[in-house]
Amino acid sequence: MTTSPEIRTAGRRQTVALSVFLLIQTLGAVFYVGDVIGDLRDDPASAHFVFEAIVTTALVLGIVFGTFALRRTIEVLRAQDQALAVARGALSDVIEAQFSAWALTPAERDVGYLALKGLDVAEIADLRGAAQGTVRAQLTRIYAKAGVSGRAQFAAFFVEDLLGSGIAPVEVALS
Amino acid sequence: MAAPRTRIPVAPPRLWDPVVRLTHWGIAASVVLNSFLDEGGSLVHVSVGWVLMALLVMRLVWGAIGPAEARFSAFPPNPMAALRHLRDLAMGQVRPYPSHNPAGALMAYALWATLSVVIVTGLVMTGGATPMQVAEEKAAVASGDWSALIKTGEGESDEDRAFGKAAKEVHEVAANLLLVLAALHLAGVFLESRALRRNLVAAMLTGHRPK
Repeated sequence: MTTSPEIRTAGRRQTVALSVFLLIQTLGAVFYVGDVIGDLRDDPASAHFVFEAIVTTALVLGIVFGTFALRRTIEVLRAQDQALAVARGALSDVIEAQFSAWALTPAERDVGYLALKGLDVAEIADLRGAAQGTVRAQLTRIYAKAGVSGRAQFAAFFVEDLLGSGIAPVEVALS
Repeated sequence: MAAPRTRIPVAPPRLWDPVVRLTHWGIAASVVLNSFLDEGGSLVHVSVGWVLMALLVMRLVWGAIGPAEARFSAFPPNPMAALRHLRDLAMGQVRPYPSHNPAGALMAYALWATLSVVIVTGLVMTGGATPMQVAEEKAAVASGDWSALIKTGEGESDEDRAFGKAAKEVHEVAANLLLVLAALHLAGVFLESRALRRNLVAAMLTGHRPK
């Protein structure tokens, strides 16, 4: 990916800030939990303990929700990055990255590419100088690794990104 | 884009997110600090230990509910895969993984387990006292009130004392093991960076994928 627009840079900075904040909160929570456990051993009936326990519980809950929110933010940023990459025509980069994520072997990558280009088993076998049975087995393995039911869903996996970014502006306009 | 048939260099793993990076370097700094730069049992040592505990807790929580490649499910402990990866590494033919490589994953778990042992035994040694309590105690002793010391000593059976001694022993052995693992970890990162021709340290520092 080439230059990062200001919005994405700002988003990155926001996740870093949120992470730092979350870490400081966790630091505080761990100290407080330690203190509460100490108080628990001393005098669990005191108002001091009850109050501190409630505050600590609130803090811990806040951290858990904060963590979920941070993960959401990071995932949204990544989805935007990916949509942008697709929109820029860097589809082959996206496919390559996805193939890596599925841990396809070099041979499976080639077959996967050819299948995405719409070649059928016989043509792929011809091109690669392999038996049709081999290509069919490779395709089956690719589908299994990708967790898709077959060729149509395999191709749809990548088209979906393009469609998503196409529909998004409409949703924005409606809301 | 046209010409996708040419072999594009395999995509590097996604950026490490800020939580992974902050906890990683925070833990590294804390370990260096507590191993080499401060005195065991001092207020600084105990405080850094608690910070370390918070960092580890954060990373483990992140491993359960964080984004995909930070989650444990992205790098399950698999000794066989780790051995295979090390063999590949020895032959200089490693393939990139979307998260930690299998050997690196095993190292991460080993480091976390050892850290946990160090932290737990540290807590046993200090009787679970928070840094605030340690500071109070030290201030009391400094002002001539030695009762704080006596209080911790009384009511302690031989069994307790033996337990405390064992904790101290384990604390030291585990801390040394931690340093050995960290050294191996550094060697692994160096070899992996060379084999992949990619600066893995930079990726952990800035989060940007190095070209």
